[in-house]
Amino acid sequence: MSIDLKANTCPNREQRAGAVNAYYGKASDLVQEARNGTLTNKEREFQQSSGCVLNFYLTTRVVTIRDAVMIVHAPVGCSSTSLLYREVYRRIPLSEGRPADFDLHWLTTNIDEKDVVYGGADKLRFAIREAEERYKPKAIFVLASCTSGIIGEDIEGVVAEVQPEINATIVPVHCEGIRSRIIQTAYDAFWHGILKYLVKKDIPKQPDLVNIASMLSYTWQDRKEITRLLNRIGLRPNFIPEFATVEQFEILGAAAVTAPICPTYTDYLSRGLEQEFGVPCFMYPSPVGIDHTDEWLRTIARYTGKEKEVEVLIKEEREKWLPQMEKIQNEFASIKPNGEKVEILGSLGQGRLLTQVPYFEEIGVSSPAAIIQDFDNLVLDEVQGIIDQAGDFDVLVNTFQAAELAHITRKYDPDVALTCPFQGSAYKREKGATRIHALRGDARQWSAQAGYKGAIAYGNFLLQSLKNKAFQKTMLAKTPDSYKDWWYEQPDPLHFTKQKGV
Amino acid sequence: MGTVTPLRTKEETFYPGVVEAPRFSCALGGAYMSTLATFGAVPILHSGAGCGMSQNFGQNFGAGLNGAGPNGNTSTPCSCLVEEHAVFGGEEKLRDLIKTTTELVRGSLYAVISGCVPALIGDDVGAVVKEYRGGAPVIHVNTAGFIGNSYKGYEQYLEAVIDQLLTPQPVVRKRVNILGIVPYQHVFWKGNLQTIKNLLEKIGVQANMIFTENDGLEALQSIPSAELNLVFSPWSGINPARKLEEKFGTPFVVIPSVPVGPKDTSAFLRFLVRRLQLRRTRVEKVIAAEEHRAYRFTEYMADIAMMALPHAYTAIVADTGTAIGLTRYGSNELGWLPEVVVVTDDPPEEYREEIINHLTEGLESAVKPQVHFEIDSHKIRLLLREHTLQLVLASSLEKHIAVDELSAMQVSVAFPVYDRLIVDRTYAGYRGGLALMEDVAYKYGGPL
Ligand code: SF4
Repeated sequence: MSIDLKANTCPNREQRAGAVNAYYGKASDLVQEARNGTLTNKEREFQQSSGCVLNFYLTTRVVTIRDAVMIVHAPVGCSSTSLLYREVYRRIPLSEGRPADFDLHWLTTNIDEKDVVYGGADKLRFAIREAEERYKPKAIFVLASCTSGIIGEDIEGVVAEVQPEINATIVPVHCEGIRSRIIQTAYDAFWHGILKYLVKKDIPKQPDLVNIASMLSYTWQDRKEITRLLNRIGLRPNFIPEFATVEQFEILGAAAVTAPICPTYTDYLSRGLEQEFGVPCFMYPSPVGIDHTDEWLRTIARYTGKEKEVEVLIKEEREKWLPQMEKIQNEFASIKPNGEKVEILGSLGQGRLLTQVPYFEEIGVSSPAAIIQDFDNLVLDEVQGIIDQAGDFDVLVNTFQAAELAHITRKYDPDVALTCPFQGSAYKREKGATRIHALRGDARQWSAQAGYKGAIAYGNFLLQSLKNKAFQKTMLAKTPDSYKDWWYEQPDPLHFTKQKGV
Repeated sequence: MGTVTPLRTKEETFYPGVVEAPRFSCALGGAYMSTLATFGAVPILHSGAGCGMSQNFGQNFGAGLNGAGPNGNTSTPCSCLVEEHAVFGGEEKLRDLIKTTTELVRGSLYAVISGCVPALIGDDVGAVVKEYRGGAPVIHVNTAGFIGNSYKGYEQYLEAVIDQLLTPQPVVRKRVNILGIVPYQHVFWKGNLQTIKNLLEKIGVQANMIFTENDGLEALQSIPSAELNLVFSPWSGINPARKLEEKFGTPFVVIPSVPVGPKDTSAFLRFLVRRLQLRRTRVEKVIAAEEHRAYRFTEYMADIAMMALPHAYTAIVADTGTAIGLTRYGSNELGWLPEVVVVTDDPPEEYREEIINHLTEGLESAVKPQVHFEIDSHKIRLLLREHTLQLVLASSLEKHIAVDELSAMQVSVAFPVYDRLIVDRTYAGYRGGLALMEDVAYKYGGPL
């Protein structure tokens, strides 16, 4: 489906890519059903809070754009996650390369009882002018909400009306929480606004520029590692959206290639840049693990004419890091008797499924099943590739459903459960548990996952989790479980679902 | 609705609600946090899918990097409403959700909290909730994000409890309830509650903390048995206290802040002697022993207090109760100079004059604070720049501003606090001032 920048917003992921967020079964069946077009979503009778289009942290990402202002056109609660804006990134030491001069700002229009009756257009108009006057930004992002959507606010109309008197480029983002079950729709909606309003046409190409859309879960060290590698072959990364300047969005169309860190996150942007600005892109692989980092760099090199340089780089890097990787492989191999592999179960986005399963292969551990937030038909070939490589596996598609995660963690009983704070009590167990990733403001070497350095750091990090289980065992013993016993005694993590249309 | 009115050039209406980073979430957020703070209670959100999870960063983490507990964040049952529900109504989804939640999730009380979407589409949530009377109690907090902020949600939760759960009880002498300490918004809420409870126990008064009591349902149900309700805020908690008075005849008193340090703590206990007709000699004995110990310990921190911050010009940026408690302790015990106080919890107009009195009268310092009521973090920043300051007791939003722009030390003591973990830390009671000094001196500490 081609991207239509004349439209106010993108289609939902459900429409664009047949996305679902409830499935349990074999990966091969999932791919097959998606190919046949027979994959339908299910309605959960029991469901848990899992983030919406606005609030799977779109706000906390948009607010990090350095010379912009974010206006959340919503009641006061919808933007409360952004209260951490003045601290995010601040603990990254200047010595690690954080720019000293940045100051982030956001406003809420604070939609109240009066506004839901009479409309909040005046307030939004006021907020845009206030943002301009106060902060003199280069861009103003206006984020929609459930409430602005249901009361029928004409955000486009307000934007068109005030733009002539405002220096900043106003970018409306249609991230009404109720518009879609698939949180990925948020990113498509955001990229739609970026492509439509910010990316400049007819600017000189920058043949050494590589666009990289980075995720909340990729840390400062990951950016540093990627920068290091690209710089070695004479290229420069353009990291967006986190911590970028507005100019970095404007020049997206001038880049040589758009490279993935998480293909499903970047998909809409990558396709849009290709279609509208002629910037080629690729979706696979991401720079996680040594082999995939090689391939990622090689693919970039093909688009930038750096084929020779990249081979030199890869050779040097492999010499440097492979001995350390072998140590990690040996240690994993020695943990269980009879060559049995350590089992790790992680909950991931579609993108992490494509990166982590091969990485686990590389370090010599196995994953008994995969848990992914949502699934769509954008990466079917890639998932098929993983099945071909690692064998078929069970997949649970759910967006942060803590009870389902607790269920499946107990059912597969892996040696290590990778959890994040969004996963409820699944860390309470007899066996290992550790965090799946750190967040962007964590500047410690320890938290790296990308590139060669990250492959080693992450391997060692995972090894640590097998060395002491005291915390999770204690918590299992000393705190009651949230769910009743019958939940674990029946076999189906999707026990409470009924078939429904999309 | 939603139509674009023609552009007005000059004299545009001013919208005070349009602000940068106000220091609270919505009413759903407040009711949700109060439910999580009631041990054994399970919140059921009837709302969009993000309303719960977003409070994890916005409320739980914001209150000193706290996790949301066994029923919070992604463990919170939620109807996760999307467009088709907005069109066809969300009642069926809610009906399924309540049924499955009570089957699956352990709990002694279930609180259905409705947010913006059902309020806008007109779901009759109350009727759906009523269908489930019978097993474990299910109550309905009829709110919405656009109705107000977290403080409002806290009151709405208690009011729902009073209306739907409580029944008259025989009044027990020397039993009191603690109101006005708002979970998470008052970042030291857990420690404050426990300290007050322990203190009252020493003078023979049994205090019901309501929140964090081991059996949350029982704590709620025993609310009407109190002889007196103590509201530890000049404003938040007064509405439910009034309701309890109307419904059960329980009188209430307003204690302007959780007492910080020996002077205010002793004054608080002496007040209770009069109000609850306690044995004066017994209480005076407790006071004497506590004060002796507190001031003997103050000697341990006296040197560093004189070195680090003698007569410091201080800014306090906090909710009403925290601001009053710290202003008084700093001014009346440590010799600080309270230069400016910014009250950030948006108290209703009718309470503001009284709040100013609490912040400016009864202070030993010759410097009386300029008092501002401001929820806009940008304006707060500009306001602080107008003062010469050496110490800023504020939220972590002021952390870098204090150091970079004001050349002052800063300690995060009020919502939001993203730079320290607060589990049961408190500045309440006899030892509270010492705890404050420990935190302040941690920022100062180093080679002398
Ligand atoms: S303001 Fe409304 S939509 Fe936003 S988080 Fe609160 S209840 Fe949910």
